[in-house]
Amino acid sequence: MTFRDLVAISAGNLSRMKLRTFLTVSGVVIAIGTFVAMVSFGAGNQKYISEQYEELGLFSTLQVHRLSKTAAGDSTQARPLDQQALNELSKIPGVRLAYPFDAMTVTAALADSQLSAKAQALPLSAMQTRLFSQFRAGHSFSSDSAKEVVVTPQLLHLFGLTHPDSLIGDTMVISIRVATIDSGLAGLIPRDSGWIRQQVRAIQFDSLLQSAYRQRQAKRLTNEAISRFVNGFFEHRAIVKETLTVVGVLEERGAGRTRMEPIVLPVAIAAKFRSSGLSDDPSALFTAFSQGTVFSLDSAASSRSYPQITLDIDPNVPLKAISDSVRAMGFEPFSFAQMFEEMQKFFFYFNLALSVVGLIALVTASLGIVNTMVMSILERRREIGVLKSLGADDRHIRILFLVESGVIGAVGSVVGILVGWGVTRIASVIIKQFMMKSGVGPIELFALPLWLILTAVAVGIVVSVAAGYYPASRAAKVDPVEALRNE
Amino acid sequence: MIRTNKVCRHYIRGPQIIKAVDEVSLAIEEQEFVAVVGSSGSGKSTLLNLLAGLDSPTAGSIEFRGTTLNNLSRRGLSQYRAKSVGIMFQSFNLIYHRTALENVELALYFNGGSRGERRTQATSILERLGLADRMGHRPADLSGGEQQRVALARALVKKPALLFADEPTGNLDQDNATQIMALLSDLNRQGLTIVIVTHDLEIAGEYAHRMVRMHYGRLVDHQSEGHGGEA
Ligand SMILES: Nc1ncnc2c1ncn2[C@@H]1O[C@H](COP(=O)(O)OP(=O)(O)OP(=O)(O)O)[C@@H](O)[C@H]1O
Ligand SMILES: [Mg+2]
Repeated sequence: MTFRDLVAISAGNLSRMKLRTFLTVSGVVIAIGTFVAMVSFGAGNQKYISEQYEELGLFSTLQVHRLSKTAAGDSTQARPLDQQALNELSKIPGVRLAYPFDAMTVTAALADSQLSAKAQALPLSAMQTRLFSQFRAGHSFSSDSAKEVVVTPQLLHLFGLTHPDSLIGDTMVISIRVATIDSGLAGLIPRDSGWIRQQVRAIQFDSLLQSAYRQRQAKRLTNEAISRFVNGFFEHRAIVKETLTVVGVLEERGAGRTRMEPIVLPVAIAAKFRSSGLSDDPSALFTAFSQGTVFSLDSAASSRSYPQITLDIDPNVPLKAISDSVRAMGFEPFSFAQMFEEMQKFFFYFNLALSVVGLIALVTASLGIVNTMVMSILERRREIGVLKSLGADDRHIRILFLVESGVIGAVGSVVGILVGWGVTRIASVIIKQFMMKSGVGPIELFALPLWLILTAVAVGIVVSVAAGYYPASRAAKVDPVEALRNE
Repeated sequence: MIRTNKVCRHYIRGPQIIKAVDEVSLAIEEQEFVAVVGSSGSGKSTLLNLLAGLDSPTAGSIEFRGTTLNNLSRRGLSQYRAKSVGIMFQSFNLIYHRTALENVELALYFNGGSRGERRTQATSILERLGLADRMGHRPADLSGGEQQRVALARALVKKPALLFADEPTGNLDQDNATQIMALLSDLNRQGLTIVIVTHDLEIAGEYAHRMVRMHYGRLVDHQSEGHGGEA
């Protein structure tokens, strides 16, 4: 008895009992359909996210941060992410490019509206990585010194604009109010000569012979000078202005994935703002004081430290090797690929939870199979007796019935997959329309990967065969003498 | 060819022991035609089932061509039924939803052989039994005599050494009964060993070489001579 014979026999038996077979198979179809639709949703989300990761080049991106102080009382100072760090990081094998996250607050003016926004400098080479390859409109700036600017949809939002295309080619004036050393020094200069006379009169010359008095006077004058310098610093700020052309609007990216400011400037333009002085931010001044860089502004770039450095890495080089090198240098690496692995774990459980719903339906369907098979055996006792009298042994009978339930499972699974897929297609169309209405781009939330098809068929067949096992064993045990006795 | 040694088939029903077959010792030689007779409930069918390997004795032994059936596994016993034994029943026991041809083919499923071989062998045996134009019919569309001939074809198609028939004429009219018995007689002359169960003494006397009589599960006497051999 070949497998083909078995399938032919069971198919014959099933087609004879059309209504009953139809109902039993329907149970399996509904169960597998549910299973496929549910898991398809999980798989679709997973696929969408991994595609996003791939498209955005997140797999080839590694973020480097300063070491966060872990143990309390850790006296060692975390290594700053400065120019030297940048140089070292870019020399790690597998790192194609290292660039800092270099942000400043600027004033952006577009037509007659103007607002304060954050800007960041990006070298052209960074703009050319996968991470910034997606534009909603336009393109990247043409060189590191081009008088051009790229913005994100966030800026559009800030300005209340909806069409990214309309912005391309427009002029944007970026300005920054900087306090320079000059403005500080200007503060030192007295505003009127009366002040000098007043000061001179205030000094009791005869007392100058006493050292305590001298010291008190010197302190007073120094304090006054410092306060004048600082006040002058902030009051006499210069405005540095650049008129740039908007050349591109970057694609929106999921929040939190990469740090991104609404305005992206070519490095040379950003440097112009930088070298002109300290920004509006008072903390910049104190930093400059503490680092002793107030009077060495031209070399500020070399001693400046960044909150984050991004590495564009060769995806063929093991991520771990690069992370380890970064860690060895005293920095904290963060990779999206690792985060993605975590996410995959989440999706595993998410899919599992979804499939449980389908599996519950499958349990119900399998009860239907048990019922059908038991009925079928009761009806076919005589037939089983005949087969045994013709030389069938228990194993043959068992296989015969298992194949029968297997055929129910196989047919049910295949049809179930089609039905489940059909349901997700309909759901997808409806959801996409809904998404369009609420302004989100249409996202495909369902996927039918090969593994899902194969799993559904396997699960359908295995569960059906398992459901058929008890009835089949009962069939195998039928005593031919009893089954064939004349009534 | 097949012999039994004090074979018993007892049923235990609560406190009662039903001795359906009790200490039966019987030897059947190659190419014999034996008729088992006896009143209803005397254990004829039970004995036949034991000989055919459908049932197992509770005591005693059965030996077929040197093999003790008791010692065979369930699978071995199935093989014995599949290869060496053909069985016919009073109520034909054809599978009603299969055609005559398919019913006959079914007997070859457990014997190896390809689909094609099964079809040729089944066709040829049905033709030999005069059912060439009935092959595609289902049992319900056949007369009793035709059904029994299909059942005979099914029993013979695997070319067994032994044919067992339990009341093969019980559900047939006189003409059909005669026809079937004539066929069996023919086959016996061609070398087939046949054991039939019947309570029709006339038939037993006319076709069998030998009659064995059962009474309450026991063999009562060996009435050695029938007329079958001389017909
Ligand atoms: N499964 C069983 N359980 C209990 N008793 C049984 C069983 N099978 C058969 N018997 C009993 O065994 C005895 C022999 O039965 P068997 O069917 O062999 O008789 P038989 O000679 O073939 O009768 P008939 O001519 O009516 O067919 C009967 O008394 C019957 O009731
Ligand atoms: Mg009987």
